[in-house]
Amino acid sequence: MHAIGSPEFWIQQLINALGLGSQYALMAVGLAMVFAVMRLINFAHGTVMMWSAYIGLLLLQRGLPFPLVAAGAILGAATLGALMERIAYRPIRGAPDVTLLLNSFAVAVFLENLAVLLFSPRSRPFPMPALLTQVLHPWGDLFLPSIHLWAFGGALLALGGLAFFVTRTRVGLAMRAAAENPTAAQLMGIEVGKVTLLAFVIGSAMAGLAVLFWVAHIGTIQPGMGFEPVLKAFVACVIGGFGTIPGAVLGGYLLGALEILLQGILPSVVVGYRDALVYAVLILLLLVRPGGVLGYGEAERV
Amino acid sequence: MGKQSGSEMKILPGRRVEIWLGRSLGGLLLLGLYLLIERGGNAYLQRLTILFLINVMLVVSLNLFTGFTGVFSLGHIGFMALGAYASAILTMPVAMKAVNLPNLPLPLASIALPFLPALLLGGLTTMIIALLIGIPILRLSGHFVAVATLGFLIITRVVLINAEGFTRGTRTFTGVPPYTTLGWTALWALFNVYVAWRLKHSTLGLQLLAARDDPWGARGVGVAIGRVRLIAFGISAFFTGVAGGLWAHFLTAFSPNAFYFSKTFEIIVMMIVGGMGSVTGSVLGTLLVMSVTELLRNLEPGVAVGSFTLGPLYGLSQIGLAVLLILLTAFRRQGLLGDREFRLEATIERLGDWVRKARFSIKAPSAREADPLINELISKLSKR
Amino acid sequence: MRLLRPSGVLFLAFVLAVAACAPAATPTAAPATPTGGPPIRIGAPFNLTGGMASIDVPAANGARLAAEEINAAGGVLGRPLELLIRDTKTDPATAATVVTQLIEQDKVVAVIGFNDSDYVLAAGPICQRAGIPFITVGATSPRLPGQVGDMLFLTPFGDNVQAAVGAEFAFEKFGKTAYLLWDKGAEFTTVLAKYFKDRFTELGGSIVLEDTYQSGDKDFSAQIAKVKALPQQPDFYYISALPDDVGTIVKQFRNAGITGPIVGGDGYDTPLLIEVAGPAAENVFFTTHSLLTADSPNERVRKFVTAYKQKYGTEPEAVFAALGYDTVYVLAEAIRRAGSTDGQAIKKALESIRDFPAVTGVINYSPQSHIPQKGVTVIEVKGGKFTLAAERVPQKVPAP
Repeated sequence: MHAIGSPEFWIQQLINALGLGSQYALMAVGLAMVFAVMRLINFAHGTVMMWSAYIGLLLLQRGLPFPLVAAGAILGAATLGALMERIAYRPIRGAPDVTLLLNSFAVAVFLENLAVLLFSPRSRPFPMPALLTQVLHPWGDLFLPSIHLWAFGGALLALGGLAFFVTRTRVGLAMRAAAENPTAAQLMGIEVGKVTLLAFVIGSAMAGLAVLFWVAHIGTIQPGMGFEPVLKAFVACVIGGFGTIPGAVLGGYLLGALEILLQGILPSVVVGYRDALVYAVLILLLLVRPGGVLGYGEAERV
Repeated sequence: MGKQSGSEMKILPGRRVEIWLGRSLGGLLLLGLYLLIERGGNAYLQRLTILFLINVMLVVSLNLFTGFTGVFSLGHIGFMALGAYASAILTMPVAMKAVNLPNLPLPLASIALPFLPALLLGGLTTMIIALLIGIPILRLSGHFVAVATLGFLIITRVVLINAEGFTRGTRTFTGVPPYTTLGWTALWALFNVYVAWRLKHSTLGLQLLAARDDPWGARGVGVAIGRVRLIAFGISAFFTGVAGGLWAHFLTAFSPNAFYFSKTFEIIVMMIVGGMGSVTGSVLGTLLVMSVTELLRNLEPGVAVGSFTLGPLYGLSQIGLAVLLILLTAFRRQGLLGDREFRLEATIERLGDWVRKARFSIKAPSAREADPLINELISKLSKR
Repeated sequence: MRLLRPSGVLFLAFVLAVAACAPAATPTAAPATPTGGPPIRIGAPFNLTGGMASIDVPAANGARLAAEEINAAGGVLGRPLELLIRDTKTDPATAATVVTQLIEQDKVVAVIGFNDSDYVLAAGPICQRAGIPFITVGATSPRLPGQVGDMLFLTPFGDNVQAAVGAEFAFEKFGKTAYLLWDKGAEFTTVLAKYFKDRFTELGGSIVLEDTYQSGDKDFSAQIAKVKALPQQPDFYYISALPDDVGTIVKQFRNAGITGPIVGGDGYDTPLLIEVAGPAAENVFFTTHSLLTADSPNERVRKFVTAYKQKYGTEPEAVFAALGYDTVYVLAEAIRRAGSTDGQAIKKALESIRDFPAVTGVINYSPQSHIPQKGVTVIEVKGGKFTLAAERVPQKVPAP
């Protein structure tokens, strides 16, 4: 084997983990918000990301400057989220969990195949401004892709804004109330329907932001790209505490750290089992603490 | 009221005939269908039928667990994979094993079993693994089980990719003897449906359904929910594993990619369409979905509309399936049959009633006619 | 719930409208100009949707182009070629069903298609049993003819051939020590890496570090960290990757300060490499079937690229487009030689083909080898473009 215990190695891995974790956290938050208000595991979350990436690409090809492209992508994601809520999810609100789950699955497949029809299945490059993709060398041998910094910063801003929103503003509090107990919230005069819509809009906007960093990281977009992010977001939510925003954020960082750690220290013979180990950890966690690390969520055992 | 109403338990002599007629008719129909396809010489139809029967096994088994318990298993295709690889490793001729799987441990490398024992062993191995993971997992609730089973699916895939000595990793697993025939799959599918049916109408089935609809109430009457679910999980996994083995010996070449999300989605859709909790529903649902998919697929190269061609529309069958599912969850959540079963006998009974009414002007006795006391009461009341 | 009804109908209408707007009025069969007899039907199953679509769609496009050109020039034996292109959805079971349908119902006389072993192996035995020749457009596993039977032919060279050339080229040009990274989640990349390692170590080279990743991984920082932790950097880095990942991998490696030459296989032959990696793609070498640029010194390549661009509005998206093109031409030649559409006759005619000039090289078959003995093109990325570094034949090829 080789020298992997050096402090430089660990600092490098920490940087990687923070960057990756920020991306996962942003993706997971949108999923958690939707679950909180509707008890729906929205598999179409990933396809929303994919579509917002394509919207961004279309705007980019029109020659718009990058900040407008980013804004357009986020807006596109938010609009798509609103449309989804109206058309596909509102009519089946209150249905058993499995129906909601299946429906979101179907919406995801539909959106993905629509993209295949319209955009062709091949990968397309998504050129990002150099500011996002350059690599800094702060000291020594360390390399810091600036995208990690941007993701971390973006996550701080967005999540901070969200935290302020749900704790200090009336609408945010209404959302939390509706999430905890829709009936009581309605009795208190909160329009649960509007609040649900808002949750979708904000959650999807977060996804739109997340996908920008994701795409800067990987460089290409293709219709199937949404599948992996939604899976990661899902796992992150469960790890941290399903259906809660702090849980999603914590879960995102923990998942990022776990993946980087395993990839880094496992000997090459077993490093291929990395994903299996991540999921095994997930299952163990569910058994021991179904509410996730933060201990939220239903913990009923039968 | 001590009097019997006309529709009570006493089975009229005619009814017995009808029940037997229904059952034998159904059996004859199936046999006739089977012979038609087997002898028909249409290889394309035969292939579709074999795939259909394997899918029926997968869907019925999934429904046996998910439909009856209300617990969503997203990892069942992992069982299919285990059954496929296990039985394929067992049947592969020794000479081919030396070439394809040089690192296989000696006891496995030196045997080659015939089809049935390999299928059974594959199914049993799958069942044992299911019971082992079921013990911890099934104690969770709601979507946590779904998440855990999802994790199982992914773990299975990762293990298959990495355990190269057994599975050749991502490289195509070839050299599987083509043992699967229409006869084998028909027999197994029939057996599977029969077991599922008997299970549903047994005490165990009732306990499962009770646990699904009202867990606390079921607990209250003494149903051991964890144990009952585990049994269903095990049986379901067994048949899924056997289905995997049949599939493996049908395609004769496969890789871990075949046992992932698209197959999972496929069988879940079929189950939903048929109705979660209905055995015959699963069969009908599979039939409907496969028919629609195949029909749409044949339209993909292009549809002639007037003088020009519309298309090609690649991806039409996938989109069609997604739209079908969305419409279904919106309009008819319970699928085709919901919880009920399609019984040929019931249809024959209704037919019998109609025949009786029409030909012999004999009405099936109704409550009013059979009970003069009620009649009197009614006439007295209507005179007021 | 009833509220859904109007919007549900709207939804459905929207879906159908979009589906109808999809590439419409593209004929599946080549316009039949020659009239010397009924069309010669050729089955062309490809994975036009699903994970494999990005390479199968160009392959199908290339095949279609070839069929149209042949028909415009008079067809084969005076009859038009009818190419029945079908989508097998990246699903082996569908592949088997579709090929059965093509043989039984559409009565094709030969089958061409697929770029991946999973599908060739699902459909191959069916063709073998029916005595129908099957030429795979892009599957490169050299073991396929042994696994399927004598009805199977390959248009591309085998992976053992391109890996051997990669190993020999890098050994001569860069040095004796190498780093090996491959994608564990795909057959092609796993097999390529194995053949490379065999040949390289046979030459006397040594692999200082081996590592893997899974298809779909987007972050290679952990692997990169291990490389950087090496006491001494190897002479070059052999990275066996799929087209969707190469750009990302190269970019991340270069950004981390790894400047040595990167060598790979035909997975690198994609515009994505330069589009995604940008300037990081300099000093990258890879083996492939042919260099497809509009200003190639090879006249056949120029003709193909121009014709493709004219028909599809873009330069070929992947080298598999050229392979699809060549496959149809080779098949047409074989049918011409056989003078009939009988399966065995076509097979024998294919085996007799020597020095057939194709876009991707010179194709030779023989009764002993259904894998063409072609030269391998080595491409270097220089100045932001693909340039020709070498064209060679391997001195020795690892056994399949």
